[in-house]
Amino acid sequence: MLGFERRVVEGLATTPDPARREAIVGYVDGALQAMPQHLRAGVVAESLLLGVFPTLRGTMGRSSVITRDDLERWNRSRIGVVRQYARLFGSLVLFADEELPAEGMT
Amino acid sequence: MTEISTEVLVIGSGAGGAVTASRLARAGCDVVVVEEGPWLDADDVEPFSLEEMVAKYRHRGLSAALGSPGIAFAEGRCVGGSTEINSGLYRRLPADLAEEWRTAYRISDFDASSLDHFADLVELDVSVTSLPGPAPESSEILARGAAALGWREVEFSRVFRYEQSGRGVKQTMSRTFVPRAVEAGAQIIPDCRVDRLLRDGDRIVGARCTRTAGPAGEQLLIRAEHVFVCAGAIQSPALLQRSGIRSRIGRGLKFHPTVKVAARFTRALDHEEVPVHRVTEFSPYLTIGGSASRRGHVALALADSSADYQDALEHWTDVVVYYAAIRSEGSGRVLAIPGLKAPLVTYSMTDADMSRLTRGVVHLGELLFAAGAVELYPGIAGAGIARDPRDLVAWWDALDRTRGDLLTVHLTSTIRMGEERALTGADSFGRVWGYRNLRVNDAALLPDAPGVNPQAAIMTIATRNAEEFLAVSRG
Repeated sequence: MLGFERRVVEGLATTPDPARREAIVGYVDGALQAMPQHLRAGVVAESLLLGVFPTLRGTMGRSSVITRDDLERWNRSRIGVVRQYARLFGSLVLFADEELPAEGMT
Repeated sequence: MTEISTEVLVIGSGAGGAVTASRLARAGCDVVVVEEGPWLDADDVEPFSLEEMVAKYRHRGLSAALGSPGIAFAEGRCVGGSTEINSGLYRRLPADLAEEWRTAYRISDFDASSLDHFADLVELDVSVTSLPGPAPESSEILARGAAALGWREVEFSRVFRYEQSGRGVKQTMSRTFVPRAVEAGAQIIPDCRVDRLLRDGDRIVGARCTRTAGPAGEQLLIRAEHVFVCAGAIQSPALLQRSGIRSRIGRGLKFHPTVKVAARFTRALDHEEVPVHRVTEFSPYLTIGGSASRRGHVALALADSSADYQDALEHWTDVVVYYAAIRSEGSGRVLAIPGLKAPLVTYSMTDADMSRLTRGVVHLGELLFAAGAVELYPGIAGAGIARDPRDLVAWWDALDRTRGDLLTVHLTSTIRMGEERALTGADSFGRVWGYRNLRVNDAALLPDAPGVNPQAAIMTIATRNAEEFLAVSRG
């Protein structure tokens, strides 16, 4: 999992419980590793591209944290693959958040 | 490299492979079954749970056909294949559809009475039953909505056995045909991926495999007199292509494009079972049914609408997920790419498909309102929450190639069967053209997606083809 992808997951996860957040990150990491390689390559390429903007924001003295506004913007993007990217991460985090047992899993 | 020899090698252990292995082993054949995924206790994980996705789904459920729109799909990857992860609905292949296929693809011995005979044989081995009591409320909603609109509906049978306690146990392959194959002497090798088949002229002489667990990377060479490839409509053509067998292999992929709708009612409903009713008013081109609706599934279906769903999620027990699925005019392709383990899968929906799917989602909305739903969240970004039948008007224009969240589970037709050489990859009994001892015996053989859950058709055709193999090879 790329650093940017981890930040996306952390931006999406709503639980304040650090152990549970870590479990969600772990689940998403496992899912990304399990993806077909060609699909995973596409996701990596998008992560690299989308990661440029928060980084640039950081260099301008603003926060480089991935915010819900970023995620909402990607969700509404006119570019299909950007929306799919947001939906992929949104679905993985949401499903993990709702379905992970209380003690979490790795 | 470990080397073993067998009379018959069966690759895959799902509805096609397990049935094939069981029939051949019981007839006295020396059978080895290779399965890429693990051999798990069927009760190890809860059905439709996150744990099940991790343990039993290929790519943890993250497979997709590329295209406009892209379409997510799921395959099982464990002993028992996709029968371990599906809803267990069972519907014989409709006779008119079998006749259509027989004519178009010139499939020998494919008449309705012959297929009924083999379906009878399947049903001797696996318990096909209706619910012992009334259907759960989530299922009755479909019947009630259909009745209100004057539409036909039917309660589907399932491959379930009911214990004295009333607990229903899905008769997956790992609970039925796999143990029967083992009892008859078949050897099951789980956690073992077949990298490629070994060819010698017009014969397959064996398979080169790699262990996926245990001593990871260990190579295995299995020599066989006969090979049945039963890895499903995606993996079977991919394996043949990796082995250099490409003529009419992997083209014509078919499935049932599906859109879900999360329906909110005014009271809590059941969430343990998948609804067994199906609305057949528009069959075979359009089917309306219900999906798994655990909390996670409800959350995903609500989120797919891109509407504000927090209140509905807080009352998730009032919400059930339903779907509209179509038989598609479009088709797709499976392409094994050197160096990549997973094949590239593409699918092209026609404009007529999009129109039919839109009609399906609107009909589903009408039915759910007629059954008492108070809010509908369609899997269409930006379509908005429907709170009244008049709101459904907006759905007609909302589903386009960019905004729908499409998925499917029934994958077929990548190595079609029949004597029409220009259209098929295998003959009427699954023998791959050009090879004397190589057969396919799974969903890939079906000439089209049948408009219903294909498990019954796959098992019936697998039984038929196994019996033909025995008749030919053993007199």
